[in-house]
Amino acid sequence: MAVQPCCVGSISRAPSKHGDESMPLRTIVGACALAACVIAAPVAAAPLDESKYPPFAGQWFRIGPLQVFDAAKPKGRGQEAPLTPEYQAIYEANLADQATGGFGDDPVYRCIPEGMPRAMTLVLPMEIVVTGNTTYLLMEYLSMIRRIYTDGRDFPTDQEPSWMGYSIGKWIDEDGHGRYDVLEVETRNLKNPRTFEPSGIPMHRDAQTVIKERLYLDKTNPDKLYDEITTYDHALTRPWTVVRAMRRGHNPMWIESICAEGNVHVKIGNETYMLNGDNLLMPVKKGQQPPDLSLFKQAK
Amino acid sequence: MRLQSLAIWASLVSVAAIGDARGHHSFAMFDTEHPIELTGTVKEFRFVNPHSILILQVKGANGEVTEWVLEGGAPAMLVRAGMTAKSLKVGDEIIITVNPLHSGAPGGSYQPDRAKFKDGTPVAVPRD
Repeated sequence: MAVQPCCVGSISRAPSKHGDESMPLRTIVGACALAACVIAAPVAAAPLDESKYPPFAGQWFRIGPLQVFDAAKPKGRGQEAPLTPEYQAIYEANLADQATGGFGDDPVYRCIPEGMPRAMTLVLPMEIVVTGNTTYLLMEYLSMIRRIYTDGRDFPTDQEPSWMGYSIGKWIDEDGHGRYDVLEVETRNLKNPRTFEPSGIPMHRDAQTVIKERLYLDKTNPDKLYDEITTYDHALTRPWTVVRAMRRGHNPMWIESICAEGNVHVKIGNETYMLNGDNLLMPVKKGQQPPDLSLFKQAK
Repeated sequence: MRLQSLAIWASLVSVAAIGDARGHHSFAMFDTEHPIELTGTVKEFRFVNPHSILILQVKGANGEVTEWVLEGGAPAMLVRAGMTAKSLKVGDEIIITVNPLHSGAPGGSYQPDRAKFKDGTPVAVPRD
């Protein structure tokens, strides 16, 4: 189904699910009739007038270390995540479990996708494809895909939540030079489990996370892309903003990343184990007990 | 555990230098503070996602062979680090520094830049 641009969206304040002026939530509200804004999938790519859009298209690599959400800070507690006391305690439990060889609450070892906002830390490179009504972020890692709708629609009310969430974007000509230079994105409707990064900085169990981003190129270097990410989550005492930087790849090469292919980590009950070369369980923690086999009838 | 033949490299290998294979998940199960060097024969090299698996047969001082399961980077990471599915074949003899499992079971994690063939040739040849 071809999609016509709905209307020029306006930004207005929406009732905050977080009920707090320190966590303002804005939503794009179309100026035209709502019925015209609710667009059914699939969405055909609209032709792009490249002269109006910044050169986001291409391959982008992470700048900065792995295993951190805020690339400017050390990993683990060094991230200084603004967690509520309840979620700081959950995080401390994750760290304690990892200190003995466990995974804590990090779900990705089971091939669960990182989800948002963690996906934007780019373990592996990402391709950006810009069309007139949707911008696609195609992540090599775990084959994750983000669709950022820029056709003026509003958030749907009947979508199942997902790890990447539902993203609505708006192109901004911030410089007033007649060409868009910023893509503002709001993402909602997320699914758990998710953590901010591998040490297990938690997100709230209610999954009511809202993420706002501003993507823009460096003013002097079009091969450098920034993503300002602000996360609103009830596990946090305040919105948490980080800036991730990416560098453009000039000889793109893409490699498939299908997690289920050969994962050697398994969770049985509340314990994780590792498979050896013969697919037999190995302990990962000192003194770890084997799984409960009480449901198997043992030969006497 | 038959680790008599293993040379402990803890004093030689910087913890900070180890980490590029990580990313899929926490690698907390592996002891990054006490890396060890293994000399062994490649039994199998699985160039698979989410992490490559190298199965190495390591002969102990008493002649007994222990099979080590070593988890490394995803193919996407290894290729960019100069390693392909053909970099290691069955029967290759290699020397490799690994971070062993905390549990003491014969498993660990490896980095492509810390693997070399017995003649000293590096296993990984980074792309330009």
